[in-house]
Amino acid sequence: MIDIQKLHLSFDGLSDVLSAIDFKLDAGEFVAVAGPSGCGKTTLLNLCAGLVELPMGQHLQVAGALPQLGSDSVAYMLARDSLFPWQSALDNAAFGLKVRGMAVGEARDRAAEMLKRVGLGGFEHALPKALSHGMRQRVALARTFAMPAPLLLMDEPFGALDAQTKLQLQDLLLQLCQESQRSVLFVTHDLSEAVALADRVVIMSSRPGRIIADVVVPMARPRSIRELQTNSEFHHTYTQVWRHLEEGWTHHEG
Amino acid sequence: MKASTLLNFVRHALFVSLLIGLWEWGARTGFIDQSFVGSPLGIATFTVNNVSDLRLWGDLGWTMFSVLVSFSIGASAAIATGLAFVTWPKLESFCEPYVNALNVLPRIALVPLFILWFGLGVGSKIAMGVSLTFFIVLSSTIAGMRGVSQDHVTLTRTLGASSRQMFFWVTLPGAVPVLFSGLRLGIVYAFLGVVGAEVIASERGLGQQLSYLASTFAIDGVWSLLIDLALVGVLIMKSMNWLERRLLHWQ
Repeated sequence: MIDIQKLHLSFDGLSDVLSAIDFKLDAGEFVAVAGPSGCGKTTLLNLCAGLVELPMGQHLQVAGALPQLGSDSVAYMLARDSLFPWQSALDNAAFGLKVRGMAVGEARDRAAEMLKRVGLGGFEHALPKALSHGMRQRVALARTFAMPAPLLLMDEPFGALDAQTKLQLQDLLLQLCQESQRSVLFVTHDLSEAVALADRVVIMSSRPGRIIADVVVPMARPRSIRELQTNSEFHHTYTQVWRHLEEGWTHHEG
Repeated sequence: MKASTLLNFVRHALFVSLLIGLWEWGARTGFIDQSFVGSPLGIATFTVNNVSDLRLWGDLGWTMFSVLVSFSIGASAAIATGLAFVTWPKLESFCEPYVNALNVLPRIALVPLFILWFGLGVGSKIAMGVSLTFFIVLSSTIAGMRGVSQDHVTLTRTLGASSRQMFFWVTLPGAVPVLFSGLRLGIVYAFLGVVGAEVIASERGLGQQLSYLASTFAIDGVWSLLIDLALVGVLIMKSMNWLERRLLHWQ
């Protein structure tokens, strides 16, 4: 789904932002990318979305093609809900489909179905100002999952939520992914989130961003966030990932 | 009506009655010079006669027509220019010194030229209104469009939106709150420009009537027309408020 080979990226031609990145994401895989802030993980995601231009001669393919804005294979989700305050929950959830050219009626029908699946049935006509943070991010999830894109690019989608809401939405994301078989590239700085959600956790060093570890998460699916709290494999993997991240820091400082 | 609202109303009614009473008493006793300041009773008499005079309504229509036309032209030209500036920043930086120079120029000083070019009719009044409205709406258009949420833009870009979709679905609605405060000011300034130009030289209009009454020492008439102008101003603001509630109910 994503194929990156020996990628280097530099914005000013002097210092690398990303260095020697080799990365593959297979169809149906959920990969979390973790690392200290400023390590280039969001840049990596934006390269895949086509938001950052890929320099000549670099190898990065998304669904077998060069990354492109508006590609049908990709849906993108940000940390802040970025809902339009002038549109109802329903129209916000339908926005992606409308931009992609779907007829308004059909887009709304699909969006209404998605809103039900994220637990917001009955809130179709609510404006964002009337919704809580968690509910708004649920609408954003509905907007993302309403699109039939096989690959989801998520940039810390729960980064701005309080701890409890975060756990609820992580559970919801697990459910949605298990229902609809998507590939996900998930950027986060929250290691327990990364381990709980992903099949693999990729750890990046601080700038220039390199991949310093690629940890396979062994817990079987379907998972539930609540059960993971008492799962020894979860804690073991978490410790492992944490140690790799620490190595990245000491490397950098040394 | 709530008790506090009622109390407030009574307070203002008392204050205004006291003021009018003092003024009337002063005018009658000769304490205040009526030929310069007029008197409340005189103003009331003039107003009652004037309201039944077709001429007032003709002048009002003339002024309002100029205000609405100049506001429409000025605001649409400003929104189009603002959009062009935001789309092509190089054009903006090239035009900036000229825009700034025109903006700091006291626009009312252009009236003599406008009268030469467009005559004593509505043309010169509209030109004046446009010249005031344009710059205010322009700066708020630019500020509004620049202030559109970057998250909205990023998200819409990843969806591969066309520039048309980006403008009508994201940039324009996102700019409306700031743009609207510019439009609100813009229409008040259009009113100012039109009446100002009418006072200076005009065939008709409320401003021309006011200027004529003042030059013939009909002070009661001047006051009466000032009240009319204030009422028109309030009416304009009320309609803008109504429009804002309709457009920005989501805020």
